[in-house]
Amino acid sequence: MKVFAVVVAFLVAVATAHESCYSQVDQACSKINSKPGLDQELIPCNATYGHINIVTKDLINFANTHIVRSFEYLLMATHYGNYQMNRAGFEKLFRGLSDEKWHEAIELIEQITTRGGVMEFVPPKALNGVEKTNNVYQLYEIQSVAKALDMEKKLALEAFNIHKEASGRSEGKHDPEISSYIEKEFVHDHAKTIRKLAGYVTDLKSILSGPDGSLGLFLFDEYLQKQ
Amino acid sequence: MKAIVAGTLLLCTFALVKGEELQCSHKQEELKTDPNWTDMKHSCINSMRTQIQAELRAAMQYLAMGAHFARDTVNRPGFAKMFFEAASEERQHAIKLISYLLMRGELISDVSTLIDSYIGVEKTEWESGLEALKNALQLEAQVTKKIKGVVKVCEDQPGPNDWHLVDYLTGEFLEEQYKGQRDIAGKVSTLSKFMDKHGALGEFLFDKKLLSGEL
Repeated sequence: MKVFAVVVAFLVAVATAHESCYSQVDQACSKINSKPGLDQELIPCNATYGHINIVTKDLINFANTHIVRSFEYLLMATHYGNYQMNRAGFEKLFRGLSDEKWHEAIELIEQITTRGGVMEFVPPKALNGVEKTNNVYQLYEIQSVAKALDMEKKLALEAFNIHKEASGRSEGKHDPEISSYIEKEFVHDHAKTIRKLAGYVTDLKSILSGPDGSLGLFLFDEYLQKQ
Repeated sequence: MKAIVAGTLLLCTFALVKGEELQCSHKQEELKTDPNWTDMKHSCINSMRTQIQAELRAAMQYLAMGAHFARDTVNRPGFAKMFFEAASEERQHAIKLISYLLMRGELISDVSTLIDSYIGVEKTEWESGLEALKNALQLEAQVTKKIKGVVKVCEDQPGPNDWHLVDYLTGEFLEEQYKGQRDIAGKVSTLSKFMDKHGALGEFLFDKKLLSGEL
């Protein structure tokens, strides 16, 4: 009995010390002449736990980068859709990447809110110091694939960085839910996309080294249409 | 412009095939003047370009609405789902307008300035689901008004009325706008009736109905 009382006292002490959701609710419920919980916000009753706070800013930046990339890929796709370029395969490649980034941005927002975070819509760091000139997205075939390869690598490294932040076990920055999420949703897919684009650059390079690349580009575009 | 093209060509040459020249560029067929098949007028094209931006801005605003209702302390997954879907729909509208311009032989140049490098959002928090739905209705009404503006420009421009585009905008876009607006207006009515006597419970039930697609 005594032991029980000590344990209960200990538990109560721990609960109040950590401002638990329960203790706040309990307080709110026991207030006389006031409706439970209406006069105060139940601050600890949110979805935040673990070390999500360390990576929330990075996840927000990552989501904003995806939105910007999505629009950039859309412009690249648009360029290949005009009658002069007339490369339906390249258009499809970049539209696909644009769609992918857009949907990943939405999934990232959902992930941020799943862990109790608040999405902020701000320009991503990737835009810092980048001056937009008029023809950045109006490129020749091999140039645009090379640009996409660079963009994907940057995204992959940003994912690595978030993973690193969330997996510092010894420094107490351990959040396996985030590191696993990054691995599952991004890391492996990035590797595949990067390998695919690098392969395209290899093919385009050999195709364009010949006496007339235009026929080769036509055939390569036809190949891309079927992917 | 020329310097950049030259620069990238140079990069192609040096970085990829040490010494050997890589043939990156090819003959471009300029079919703008002879035969004169691209007949869209500047004012009309520009208003279409502005409309593409407007659709993307609406997409971003819906994204912010989805993000708000997905929060743990807001917890309205049905609203979040509806707004995320609306965001993707607005983006599709922008893509449809781009495809139209491409079909008419436009967007040969100045593609990079078609979309701002960053599109911000105006509002990121809402008092209630009802407020957000009313906001969404406003947003749709604004988009509709802007489409009508594009129609007007493309009808009244100096030179012939651009019948085909005007028909496409009225037949496809306005049709979708009016149907979408009616849908949201209906939802606003239902939700405010739900909430009249039941308040929070009304919003809770409405949200679950949205989530399961029963509304």
